[in-house]
Amino acid sequence: MEKTEITNKLTSIFKKVFDDNALVLSNELTANDVDNWNSLSHMMLITEIENLFSIKFRLKDLNKMRNVGEMIDIISLKLT
Amino acid sequence: MKAGEFIIRPATVKDIPFLADTIIEAEKAGTDILSWSTIFGLTEAETRKYISVMLSEEVDGCELSVSSFLVAEINGQVVAALSAWIEGKNNESSIQLKGNLLSYVLPRDCIIRASAIYPVIQEVHIDYIPGSIQKGAGYIVRDFRNKNLFQILTNEIIERLLKSDPNIAQAYTQIYGCNIPAIKANEKIDFKIVMEKQSSNEEILRYLPSNRKLLLKREL
Repeated sequence: MEKTEITNKLTSIFKKVFDDNALVLSNELTANDVDNWNSLSHMMLITEIENLFSIKFRLKDLNKMRNVGEMIDIISLKLT
Repeated sequence: MKAGEFIIRPATVKDIPFLADTIIEAEKAGTDILSWSTIFGLTEAETRKYISVMLSEEVDGCELSVSSFLVAEINGQVVAALSAWIEGKNNESSIQLKGNLLSYVLPRDCIIRASAIYPVIQEVHIDYIPGSIQKGAGYIVRDFRNKNLFQILTNEIIERLLKSDPNIAQAYTQIYGCNIPAIKANEKIDFKIVMEKQSSNEEILRYLPSNRKLLLKREL
């Protein structure tokens, strides 16, 4: 799957989890930049991503995701 | 470090059972409501088991990190624990680290249940402030209270974190509004209330010990 397609799918998940239709993803986006990004919403985000892409992250992978760009890279690797 | 008759030391994986109890007792805030149970649909025993699993993953930098805790020990017995960490150290957000552990360890049905409850409980959420010390769960066994242990542990944990980053200027802690003893104990050691969040939705009291959360700050 192309990174653009991953980004598009992630955008819809982010909008749903953070209840913000205006949310625009960028590679640099972090938890500090988004309202209501807390441990519970992060847990929901990860679960939605795993469901949508039919993948299961290792804890090591999750802890490497410091911004959206790193999240996209890891999802892309999981899908290859 | 020796503080009177107590030995103050960093926690290790051998302390995980006590640390799990510390997290549970702190979360109850002096009430019978354990949010881990009400939000995730777990018994207290299941909560203890999953918290122990998360602690044993040894992820550093959040409230579920063994390395965030100091413990006080007397005659080989741990009688108190307190956690604190530097928020956002190494560009790692503690909320992401905790959220990663929750999503990795908890069963899916717990996460689905929590997702439904989330809009109610998020009304009292207060963000952590990057670049500051966040003081988390603390607990002292009843027989060892009133021995100044809370102050000793707080000062020691702040001192140790400042050694790793002397530029940090504030320490924060978040406390439920119902937990008057914890609020008073923190005010005694120079933490001041700087913000509060309250929900008018009574449903929140089904899940959390209080509908009010306070943010306290200490200038360093």
